[in-house]
Amino acid sequence: MLKATLRSFLAHKGRLALSALAVILSVAFVAGSLIFSDTVSRTFDRLFASTAADVTVQPREDLRSARTSGAVQTVPAALRDRVAGVDGVAAARAEVSVRNVVVVDRRNRSVGPTTGAPTVAAAWYATDRSPVRLTSGHAPRGAGEALLDADTAGRRHVRIGDTLTVQAQPGAFRVRVAGIATFTTTNPGAALLYLDPAVAGRELLGSSARATAVAADAAPGVSDAELKRRIGAVVGTRTYEVKTAGEQARSAAAALGTFLDVVKYVMLGFAGVALLVGVFLIVNTFSMLIAQRTRELGLLRALGADRRQVRRSVLTEALLLGLVGSTLGLAAGIGLAFGLIRLMSAFGMHLRAAEMVIGWGTPVAAYVVGLGVTFVAAYLPARRAAAVSPMAALASDGVGETAGAGRPLRTRAIAGAVVGTAGAAALAGCATATRTARAASLLGAGVVLTLIATVVAGPLLVRPVIRVLGAAFPVLFGPVGRMSRRNALRDPRRTGATAAALMVGLALVGGMSVASASMSASFDRQIDRTLGADFVVQNANFLPFTRQIADRAAGTPGVGLVVRQRRTPIAVRLPDGRRVTTTAAGYGRRLDDVAHITYARGGSAAALADGHLALDAGYAEEHGVRIGSVLPVEFPGGRRTELTVGALTDQDAADGFGTEGGLFLGLPTLQRYVPDGQDAALYVNAAPGTDPARLRPRLERALGSFPQVQVRDQADYKDLVHDQIAVLLYLVYALLGLAIVIAVLGVVNTLALSVVERTREIGLLRAIGLGRRQVRRMIRLESVVIAVFGAVLGLGLGLVWGVCMQRVLALRGLTALAIPWGTIVAVVLGSVVVGVVAALLPALRASRMNVLAAIAHE
Amino acid sequence: MSTPAAQHAPGRTPGGGTAARARGLTKAYGSGETAVLALDAVDVDIARGRFTAVMGPSGSGKSTLMHCLAGLDTVSAGRVWLGGTEITGLRERELTRLRRDRIGFVFQSFNLVPTLTAAENITLPMDIAGRRPDARWLDQVVDTLGLRPRLAHRPAQLSGGQQQRVACARALASRPELVLADEPTGNLDSRTGREVLAFLRGAVDDLGQTVVMVTHDPGAAAHSDLVLFLADGRIVDEMPEPTAEAVLERMRVLPAGGPREPGSVPVRRRPGAGRTAEED
Repeated sequence: MLKATLRSFLAHKGRLALSALAVILSVAFVAGSLIFSDTVSRTFDRLFASTAADVTVQPREDLRSARTSGAVQTVPAALRDRVAGVDGVAAARAEVSVRNVVVVDRRNRSVGPTTGAPTVAAAWYATDRSPVRLTSGHAPRGAGEALLDADTAGRRHVRIGDTLTVQAQPGAFRVRVAGIATFTTTNPGAALLYLDPAVAGRELLGSSARATAVAADAAPGVSDAELKRRIGAVVGTRTYEVKTAGEQARSAAAALGTFLDVVKYVMLGFAGVALLVGVFLIVNTFSMLIAQRTRELGLLRALGADRRQVRRSVLTEALLLGLVGSTLGLAAGIGLAFGLIRLMSAFGMHLRAAEMVIGWGTPVAAYVVGLGVTFVAAYLPARRAAAVSPMAALASDGVGETAGAGRPLRTRAIAGAVVGTAGAAALAGCATATRTARAASLLGAGVVLTLIATVVAGPLLVRPVIRVLGAAFPVLFGPVGRMSRRNALRDPRRTGATAAALMVGLALVGGMSVASASMSASFDRQIDRTLGADFVVQNANFLPFTRQIADRAAGTPGVGLVVRQRRTPIAVRLPDGRRVTTTAAGYGRRLDDVAHITYARGGSAAALADGHLALDAGYAEEHGVRIGSVLPVEFPGGRRTELTVGALTDQDAADGFGTEGGLFLGLPTLQRYVPDGQDAALYVNAAPGTDPARLRPRLERALGSFPQVQVRDQADYKDLVHDQIAVLLYLVYALLGLAIVIAVLGVVNTLALSVVERTREIGLLRAIGLGRRQVRRMIRLESVVIAVFGAVLGLGLGLVWGVCMQRVLALRGLTALAIPWGTIVAVVLGSVVVGVVAALLPALRASRMNVLAAIAHE
Repeated sequence: MSTPAAQHAPGRTPGGGTAARARGLTKAYGSGETAVLALDAVDVDIARGRFTAVMGPSGSGKSTLMHCLAGLDTVSAGRVWLGGTEITGLRERELTRLRRDRIGFVFQSFNLVPTLTAAENITLPMDIAGRRPDARWLDQVVDTLGLRPRLAHRPAQLSGGQQQRVACARALASRPELVLADEPTGNLDSRTGREVLAFLRGAVDDLGQTVVMVTHDPGAAAHSDLVLFLADGRIVDEMPEPTAEAVLERMRVLPAGGPREPGSVPVRRRPGAGRTAEED
């Protein structure tokens, strides 16, 4: 039996090729992402482990603030002496290392990375733990000198002797590049600037009495853990966080990990799509192979093979396919990881491809995925094969209808109806839910259930939908059109499964494009309603920037008003007992002149009053907060106070989507608890009598030395927000691209096998006078109608999902519903192209058939 | 053209004219030493308005002859005409058009497109050509074949005999110059087979069509006006006004690759032509 299975596998290897490709693609993405993330984390583990001091003392940071507020948590520089005095410390250094700086060259261009990686300014200590080595020039001596890393210097053409301006939190200062330092380890993509330790504290933190951490080297014979214990006992672990080199490396890796996780999840998303779509392809291939081999299987049964043997033989064939696919996929995954590593170096992250890490988990995952998916996909066809009666061997093939094509779809109808009803109920529940969490979980359930229902019931929809879609075919294309349409209807199961591959991807795109269009529309509406300022000064990453910019803007002739916005992480204890960590915004006075905020209770004056705050009315109600409620809050650095609720806002969405509660307060209050914060945005109005259009170039010129911020009017600001949303959409489009590639493979597969099945029929048609071109057109039209069927089903499902997603977003204040009709029309037209492309080869093959051989085909 | 066969091409009848003819028609499979002659310089005339049967043992070249007359197969040498058109040398597209417009086919099995109804199958060649069928003629054909109640049925819903009748209707629907039937009764029981043969007979007698039928069943051949006997790629004899017994008797003495009885028509044999190409 095994021999027969092997023979059959080899005999059908051409027909299995496309299925194998689907397996290869998904396995490649799984393996590639694992190898890539293993390699990156190994590289960085090594980097952090080799650069971390034996023990580091840092401020305790419950609320990470640097990214939100621009403020850096510090320790007293004198702590270094206390640490140095601990028994077992060989040496201690007061580290100063900040990321909230911008370094610009003489032409006011930032020398920092453009990829979002940070610019780090630090005190220069020439230890063997430093990730860089001084390779030319000399170490920075005193104020006004700095080292720059070689990668940045090379990229930005900075040479020794050049002058750079460092915009740090305390203020801007100039440095001359005294030397170039070269990475001895992997460059994680950041730009590094080193200053003399004697001046680093003053320049970067505003006081030479401050440092960001104290690093201690252990004396010989003292372990890191032991030293950590001793230092902790001296400095107190309530105030300070004391970490060994290992712990430090782990937390540094974890911080980096969030970025790597994104890459990993994106890759796994691709793998998931490839798998999901691949399953349909494999199911279809095996179903067709079995349908074609009905007589052969019947013969095996007639010769005495029992059902189990037949089933096992088909499953063995599937496993062979999985084995081949997984192996090739693993190899492709290594190639993919290699490509990603090369791509990262284009972004400044220099990984060594030669040090690629292939953990034992990678091949295991590859084979589990590859074998698992083929096994699962082939299981149903295998059962069907086992059900072939021995009589099938004797039956003539009659008029060439595929075995199984006529089987009733009752089970599918029932299952589809049950699951579909449950899914529809979940979606309806989602649309009418009033709480976000509940709506979101209902949405998730609804999406999964309706997708399953559509896949299951897809074959039932083939007849009605394709009848409508292809209604014009006979009129437009005559008998060729009629036959194409009927061919697509011939085996609804097959057409349904083929179209399902396309449907899954397009449903995703449909849903996401409705959601993102609605988000854009909501933000537009919100910007129109609330943004009253002539200009917003901000950077594209929404990162905080130096306070000097506000001063410079305010000093520009023609500027009437500058309102600062600052942000900070904040922890709030709500009356219902919950402690939430969120972000609060602080605004300067005259907020009403730059923004139109709708209040349910109170107003801007009450909201911004000293010791007060405002929050979203709906959120307040949900958590039992009223006007006058006194909320205990905690700011970064452990600063605690109580704030009184002065106003409740009734906005479409709280400012800054994703910040819970929409908290804001007066800038003086924020300044008191976050004294070192930087500005997040500036709202600028032209002075009375000044034309904003004429102010803009002046303002841009005035801010020219601050490349980190841009001046935007309302339209620009909308574009910025759209771009942020679009990033998400691009990812979805990339997923779609992959899904379409595999779906095309699926359509090609189906058509190719159909052409083989219909060899005699095509021969007959050719004999009675169907031209080659007409044969090609017949196949092409069938392909197009299948593709459009998939697109229509997918978009229909996606639109429903999108509307439900919008309902969830509406609960967060994004109330506008926008259907991107342009995208939808483009997708439908695109599916026509998909159909035409998929039909190219099968159509060519069908038209090239030898008529006589085809007629005589068994 | 010095063989007796050239002077008297089998099938020729005075007066009626020829629907198709072939001269020196040769079809070889393979090349060089291993070449096998399926047709060996065949000269044949198909009389217009008559029912011609082509008989011969398996491998005698009768299907190849039909395929070459239909422009389905290319010839190795010789010329073939359909009416006044020489079809040897026509390009693929012209041949397709010729088959579509001027020839009707009935095959042994798998004659119908499964997705189309009987009516759609019948008019398919004309639909492909974009021509309107002649409604009165179509009605006549459909009624003669008794297919009226079956027109809306799909092939899968028809019996084997009904399917062949639909195939005959399709072959006749466009009133082609030549109807070619390749073992049309091969897959039918004797009663339905007789019905189909009676219909082909009727198509000639009542509708004035020209029918060429390839068969190995003497009973089927007896329905024709003229039987051409093929052996080893050559036409070895012909029999007008055949009866089943006479045909059977004649078949018995046909060479099935072995020595042949002397007499009737001289046969030229070539070295290596002893075995004929496999058919079907």
